[in-house]
Amino acid sequence: MTSIGTGYDLSSSTFSPEGRVFQTEYAMKSVENSGTAVGARCSDGVVIAVEKVYHSRMMMKGSLRRVHFVEKHIGVGIAGLLPDGRQMVSKCREEATQYREVYGEPVPGRVLVDRLARFTHLYTLYWHVRSFGCSALVAAYDAEGPQLYMVEPSGMLMRYNACATGKAKQQAKTELEKLKLGELTCREAVTELAKTIVNVHDSTKDKLYELEMLWVCEESGRTAQFVPQELIDEARKAAEDEKDREDDDDDMDDA
Amino acid sequence: MESMSERSGGFSFDNVARNHVLEEKGMKMPKAAKTGTTIVGVVYKDGVVLGADTRATSETTVFEKYCEKIHYIAPNIYCCGAGTAADTEHTTAMIASKLELHRLDTGRQSRVTTCLTMLKRHLFQYQGHVSAALVLGGVDLHGPHLYTVYPHGSTDALPFVTMGSGSLAAMAVFESKYKDDMTLEEGKQIVYEAISAGIYNDMGSGGNVNLCVITKDKTEMLKGYAKENMRPWRKSTPYTFPKTEVLTSKIDKPRTDISVVVESEKMEVSAS
Amino acid sequence: MDVMEAGGMDWMQNEHMLGTSIMAVVYDGGVVLGADSRTTTGSYIANRVSDKISPITEKIFCCRSGSAADTQAISDYVRYYISMHSLEIGEEPKVATVGKMFRLICYRNKANLLAGIICAGYDKHDGGQVYNITLGGSILKQPFAISGSGSSYIYGFCDSNFKEGMGRDEAEQFVIRALALAMSRDGSSGGVIRTVTINESGVDRKYYSGKDIPGFYEGW
Repeated sequence: MTSIGTGYDLSSSTFSPEGRVFQTEYAMKSVENSGTAVGARCSDGVVIAVEKVYHSRMMMKGSLRRVHFVEKHIGVGIAGLLPDGRQMVSKCREEATQYREVYGEPVPGRVLVDRLARFTHLYTLYWHVRSFGCSALVAAYDAEGPQLYMVEPSGMLMRYNACATGKAKQQAKTELEKLKLGELTCREAVTELAKTIVNVHDSTKDKLYELEMLWVCEESGRTAQFVPQELIDEARKAAEDEKDREDDDDDMDDA
Repeated sequence: MESMSERSGGFSFDNVARNHVLEEKGMKMPKAAKTGTTIVGVVYKDGVVLGADTRATSETTVFEKYCEKIHYIAPNIYCCGAGTAADTEHTTAMIASKLELHRLDTGRQSRVTTCLTMLKRHLFQYQGHVSAALVLGGVDLHGPHLYTVYPHGSTDALPFVTMGSGSLAAMAVFESKYKDDMTLEEGKQIVYEAISAGIYNDMGSGGNVNLCVITKDKTEMLKGYAKENMRPWRKSTPYTFPKTEVLTSKIDKPRTDISVVVESEKMEVSAS
Repeated sequence: MDVMEAGGMDWMQNEHMLGTSIMAVVYDGGVVLGADSRTTTGSYIANRVSDKISPITEKIFCCRSGSAADTQAISDYVRYYISMHSLEIGEEPKVATVGKMFRLICYRNKANLLAGIICAGYDKHDGGQVYNITLGGSILKQPFAISGSGSSYIYGFCDSNFKEGMGRDEAEQFVIRALALAMSRDGSSGGVIRTVTINESGVDRKYYSGKDIPGFYEGW
């Protein structure tokens, strides 16, 4: 990177002459080193899928979870540095309980992500703290309907119909754009998102990975829940089989 | 006592419980001077008229016959105080000072509602221990305003108000004679009558009638608007003490036969 | 003889009380709040035309009973906190939210407060609602709520005359009649009747005095 050595990238409280904050950009880079995470807002809810790459062959299934629940109707998927993500999740839970105590009702998704984004942004303003090296995909279902948000390390907050972040976000975005989200149900989206993750997964580099999924939809009673494991397994298997077939076809074409 | 010296100001409630016990056992506690008072205010056509008597009492003793109970808050806002004299004076002075700084900050005329909010917050914070019962009046960009503020921090907005021990007598005058949209003269007259009712019918009130007229453009303090209780006559010549007769007179001259010799060594001043 | 005692300074030393009759009713399309107008200190009526119905937001109001200082302070705090909340959520707050905030403040400070509050209003999510916040800081969602010293005289009247889904005029008449009865039997209540009617289209304030207050059996 051209900025290295110029001295403008040493602190998040320093702008470069071009008006960039390199420390924040580096934080976003660390998200791009992590497994891909995708989310989609469907007609009846929201689904989030995260590719959890195994750091070790001996790691037990289910550890280092990347999807979390912060309120009855709000779930979060983390891409990037997991410990940083857990800090975000803690903050979300804190805000959710505080809101419930003061206003006597569950926090609307919009308010929660707004507070989370402010919190994240605060960590980009001072030299004595480090920005979060993670992005949070937030799925919520309340009076406003199903919502999908993404909070980035810069504190940037956007609402999406579908979004992707992590290692293969470009490729994943291209795949998501093909989906007809308005017509898709969450159950169908599980298959589609699994297919996206499987397709963008780089099996030459990261052999072992787990597919973690959560949804907040009509089927789950508008509460945030894990997508049933058998549904994930089925979707993953179908996606992998299809991928193998395509690869075989390609091989055959080559032959 | 240690805690007293650490404190930089404000109230100390350290001895409240102790004093309560001592009082129950029969100890007489010192009493603060209270303005057993009649204070009133009325809204008239062009502004507000405030009125007050001039007596300050402690128990049955009249401490001060001509005290001023209409306190300055801002050029367009004044405030009559009843209750503990020290509390009303300090509370109004504190708010006046804060409003002055606020005016310097904003470059705008103070609003009566700002003053009202500051007063009620202060009094509510002290849960009635600051014994100030106030009649707040003024004119700002929204027109004339008149409020009562009670020691516990509650407030009322009314076209005519009375406060203090003489408030019943004064209220009787207002209830029978108040009209909407009175002229300045009518306003001054009804306030004068209300205060007089307090002075003559309430033991805690007395002295003269002080008025304050606030309009959009100017504020006028009318001290001694009616001198109800000035001493009716005064001896033409002041009292003179009778001369004491000089019986003998003797002046001793100082002694001259003693002399004082001061021995001192010369200081060495060497040039070498 | 103490001047203070002689002059009967109790109305200055005593706390300002809203010995009160207040109520609120849900009707078909909105709510009606009502209150008498008497504020007392001891046996002296400090204000005979007080307004015990305070606005919190455009379409949510509260009726105050108990200590005037306490309830004014509480409603000031709620008005402030709720205005901040409505900025955060970007829309008009719900009546339930306001009610629960009253409850929180009354509950957390119950040792130092004397306040019985009825919070009522209209929001687009749940329509007209009435919440009764009691002395101890609990909250009750009710089709109609009565509170204050005068309310004990009209439980029977309200139970026998309240109907669910009343029209606006009917509900207003119900409130006025109930308050007139409470004011005639409760010495700490009296003066004029003030009402606030809130529905989707807006807020309407009215007051009734003298002959406009309905009369019942007066003993002759």
